[in-house]
Parts: sequence; structure tokens; C-alpha cells
Amino acid sequence: MKILKRVLGVVLALFVAAMFLFPLLWVVLASFKTKLELLAVPPVFIFQPTLQNYINAFNSDFPMQVRNSLIIAISSTVISIILGSLTAYGFSRYAIKGSDFLQFWILSLRMLPAIAVVVPFYLVFRMLGLLDTHIALILVYCLFNISFAVWVLKGFFDEIPLELEEAAMLDGYSPPQVFLRVALPLARSGLATTAVFCLIQSLNEFLLAVSLTTRVAETAPVGLSKVQTLMGVDWGLLSAASVLFMLPIVIFTIIVRNELVRGMSFGRMK
Amino acid sequence: MARLELEQLDCWYGKTHAVDHIDLVVEDGELCVLLGPSGCGKTSTLRMIAGFVQPAAGEIYLDGQPISHLYPGDRNIAMVFQSYALYPHKTVREHFIFPLIPAKIPKHEIEQRVNETADFLDMHDLLDRYPSELSSGQQQRVAIGRALIRRPQLFLLDEPLNNLDEHLRVEMRANLRKMQQDLRITTVYVTHDQVEAQALGDKIVVMDMGHIRQVGSPQEIYLHPSDLFVAGFIGTPPMNFINCRLERGESQVVLRNTHFSLPIQAPLAARTESLAEGKELILGVRPEHIRVKSQPEEGAIPTEVYVLEPQSNELILDLKLGDLMIKARDDKRELGFRPEVGQRVWIEFLQDYVHLFDRETEQRLGG
Repeated sequence: MKILKRVLGVVLALFVAAMFLFPLLWVVLASFKTKLELLAVPPVFIFQPTLQNYINAFNSDFPMQVRNSLIIAISSTVISIILGSLTAYGFSRYAIKGSDFLQFWILSLRMLPAIAVVVPFYLVFRMLGLLDTHIALILVYCLFNISFAVWVLKGFFDEIPLELEEAAMLDGYSPPQVFLRVALPLARSGLATTAVFCLIQSLNEFLLAVSLTTRVAETAPVGLSKVQTLMGVDWGLLSAASVLFMLPIVIFTIIVRNELVRGMSFGRMK
Repeated sequence: MARLELEQLDCWYGKTHAVDHIDLVVEDGELCVLLGPSGCGKTSTLRMIAGFVQPAAGEIYLDGQPISHLYPGDRNIAMVFQSYALYPHKTVREHFIFPLIPAKIPKHEIEQRVNETADFLDMHDLLDRYPSELSSGQQQRVAIGRALIRRPQLFLLDEPLNNLDEHLRVEMRANLRKMQQDLRITTVYVTHDQVEAQALGDKIVVMDMGHIRQVGSPQEIYLHPSDLFVAGFIGTPPMNFINCRLERGESQVVLRNTHFSLPIQAPLAARTESLAEGKELILGVRPEHIRVKSQPEEGAIPTEVYVLEPQSNELILDLKLGDLMIKARDDKRELGFRPEVGQRVWIEFLQDYVHLFDRETEQRLGG
């Protein structure tokens, strides 16, 4: 009975994993196929791979768009982590008047539907002369990322026993030093989790990017959507570009995977 | 030299009066134990001394200097926390070095101090381990080492033995005592365990509800508790309390209740001299000061054995006296017989160790 349960569990897990991984596999395979192989019915799984799609991708605007995406996403993530951790630490450690209200208010920014603010943002940035710049998107993404970072990181700071910080205070560390040398290292799984989510969020964002950029600061998701419309649909190029665009996130996630698992399971520190 | 002085120290947590204007002096090199049940204000007092909590009123003097306005790190105080407060991401060596960095100690001296501390605590082999790789006893030694390496003027310990198992607790208790006597660092030690307090303290401060109930040496606290609370808190099993009324016969003073009438002798009787006839009192006697006899004797009170709790060399007897339950603790050999449940036995209070408390004020009658 017990073994049966285990086997069923594993089968179920494999099934769910396959459901999620199949589209990825499809895209990766498609990126190595020629146009003919791509459209073959039934689909071919064994074929002579070609790099032509990747070469095409590199020769398009795509590398520049990836660069834009990375600049914007990384800047926004770094700023959000810095400001978010400071704010979250403040909420966690100091008695602030109206703390609950303020925290909810900050979180509520995250609930804001992007479509509701596209037009006002467009007008504001046009007035400031920041349309089609990195700064515009960095600022807008910070708005969403910081509120998320504050919310998540507060939970992690709350979990750090106060005694660890008090011990450092008695040892002669000033409050900023306590924050940097005790609280931050102990919250690193929280920082990693937050960073990954902020990064993914910023890299994937489409609506605001398509509205606030035209060419110079165009991000990869916007660029990819244009591949579809302008040249018919070059599925091979689109797949290759998608695979390339996934890589940074995959690499980053692998680097911080240990922290990430701990962070997402909100494992208690011991 | 470090003499700690608390003057009218007061602390509130919201609407709770955690510490109510207490005064206390801890002499240089003394180990002072703050003892009391949870919520008595002992930890709040410690946290005010450390500087984590600002007193609502009053002042703390260390070496005659007021320190309550200082940042914790500027007070030259070290503390061992109940949870040890070890950093999961630092090795033992890094824990030892950590307090020396803000003090700007030169590098070669850091090395030397780490070695000294490791020697002292016998931790050389463990210097490169992380807290999760240490036993709880070793973790505690790290916490002590980190506190000592800075050579603080004042050493604070917050229930440091709580997380240890019984065996290790007794061993570490002796180690702590030895260490404190070797180093003669003025120490404030917080615990709710009266056995620990008795074993460690030069001075015990019994606290309850934010007040200091009594300050004294372990012997004083045990032999002359100032009131019902202290008397009941110190000693295992706790002191027996029996309600009775004072009556003056022609030649002797008698304590009477529905179960017995006990004539009391000169030293004890003298304490009742100023009291009116019929005064309501509480008689207090520790289990170890009750003699249990198998045969009736002059002045002995008949009771019945209700429960027997054999200890290694002693026997704790729960004796039924009407609706009262009295605990007695006697050496098995001195007892002279093997009591059985339901057996009729006679008890005698050792009058030199009998305490009388005023039932209204709960204060002990003097002397």
C-alpha cells in the first residue's frame, strides 16, 4: 500500500513535470529545425539539427533587445533589492506608526493592473522626455518590484531571531553594521528568491514595455512579438530567440538554486 | 573593578508594569542571580542593563558611571543568550573574532585572544566548525567564548542552561561557577530554576511581579525567607503552608487548627509576643524539616501516608492530615522504618526551622 502510494506520487509528479516541460522541449527542438521540419505532420523528433535559426537571431535586432532587457531588468532588480530590503528591515525591526496600513499600501501597488496606468505613465514620461529610454522602464518596474520585495523580505527578516542582532549590538556593531553583517547574510535565501522573481517579472513584462518604448530601449518580449507580425511567422527564429532569452534566467536560477529552494519553502533558520 | 548599581529602575511593556522601581547593587566580582517565575521582570531587568530596553525611569551605574543613555555596544557588557544567538553562517573562529572587529584590536592580538579563549574553553579542535555541527553543550561554550573574548566589565547570562539536558546542565553549572570564580567578572545571571540559583549565586535576588522580594545569600534566602512567596519559591519540594490560629494558654503559646494544636517553644514563641490572641497565621515548614515516626510520641501529629515518592537516598512522603496534604522528605536510613501507603505515621516539626507568616501581609514574623 505504502509502495503503491509512493509509485503513484512519482508518476503524478512526472506527469505534471512533463506537462510543464513539453512546451519547453518543443521550443528547444523547434529552434534547431528547418522551416520544413517545423511544419511537418506528424512532428519529427529526430532530425539533423541546424544552427541557422540562431545565426538569424544574432543578425537581427534581437541581441540589442536582449541587452536592453538585461540592463532594465538587472538595474530594476538591484534597486528593488536595495530599497526593498531597507524598507522591509525597517518594518520588521522598528515600531512604526500605522505600520500595517503602510505595508498594505505598499503591497497594493503590486495589485495595480498595468493597463490602468499605461496611459498616465506614457503621458508622464513624454513630459519628462524619457520615452523609449532604459530609465523609464527601470523606474516603472521598480514600482512593482519594490512593493513585492518589501512584502517578501519582511517575512524573512521577521524570522531572524532578534537575539542574533542584539548580540551584535552588544559587541559594538552600529545599527547599519548589524543590518549589513547580520541581518542581510541571514536573509540571503530571501534575497535570492526576491531577486529571481523580480528579474523574471521584469524580463517578461510586455504591456508597459510595448507602450513606453519604440526602438532604442525596446525589450526582447516586445521585439519577439514583432517578429511574428512583420515577416509572417518565422517560427524557427522565434524559437531560437526564445531559447536564448530563457538562458539568463536559467543560469541565474541554477546559481542561486540552493537559496531558492530554502527561500521558497520559507524554511526556518536553524 | 566593576560595580553594578540599579537605582529606581522602572520598565513598562505597554500596560504591563514589568519592573517596578527596583534598587540593586552587585559588587565587583560578584555573581548575582535574578530568580523568579516567568513574567517576574528578571529578563526585563537584564535587557535594561544590556541596553536593549530603555528604562521608563531610573538609572544604571557601572563603575559609578551612568550608562542607561549609552548604546549597548558602548557599555562594555557581554551577554550569553538563552538561545546562544550563534550565527549559522559563521564558524566558531569567526564567532570569536566577530566582537573584536569593532573594538579595533590589532591582528596579532586577535590571534592570541582566539587561542587563549579556545584554550580556556577547550575548543581548539572545533574552531572551524559551524554551529550546526556542534552539540548543544559546545554551542554554549561558543556563546560563552564570544562573550568573554572581549574581556567585558560585566557579564550577563540569560537562562544559559535551559536548552541543555539534565546531565549536561549539572556539568555546565559547575563549569560556569568555576569560570566565574577564576575570572572574577561581575556577573548577573537570570534563571527561574531555584536549584541553579542556589548552586551558582553569591547573591540571590528573588523577583515577583516586577518587585524585588528578597536579596540575600543562598543560605539566607533558604533559612530566612522574607515572605510567603520567597518561602514557597525556594526549595524542592516546596515548603508546606498550614493555616492556624495563635492561642495563648497559661504557660505556653499554641498554634491551633482543626487538625492539631501545636505548642511552640521559646525562640519561635518570642516572635509572636506582640501579636494578639486569635491572630491568623500561616505555619511554614520545609519537607526536609519534618521528622516522620512510626510510633506515637509526645507532641507528634498523627497522619496517614498517601503517596510515596522514593528518591535515590531519600523518601518524599505525601501525608494526609484531614483535608491537608503535607510533604515530608527524609533520609531513608534515618527514617528507621519502611513506610507503606495507608500506614499511620506521626510527624514532628523541627521548631528551629519552622516559619510563621502573617496571613494578611504574607510577611514572615521576624527573628
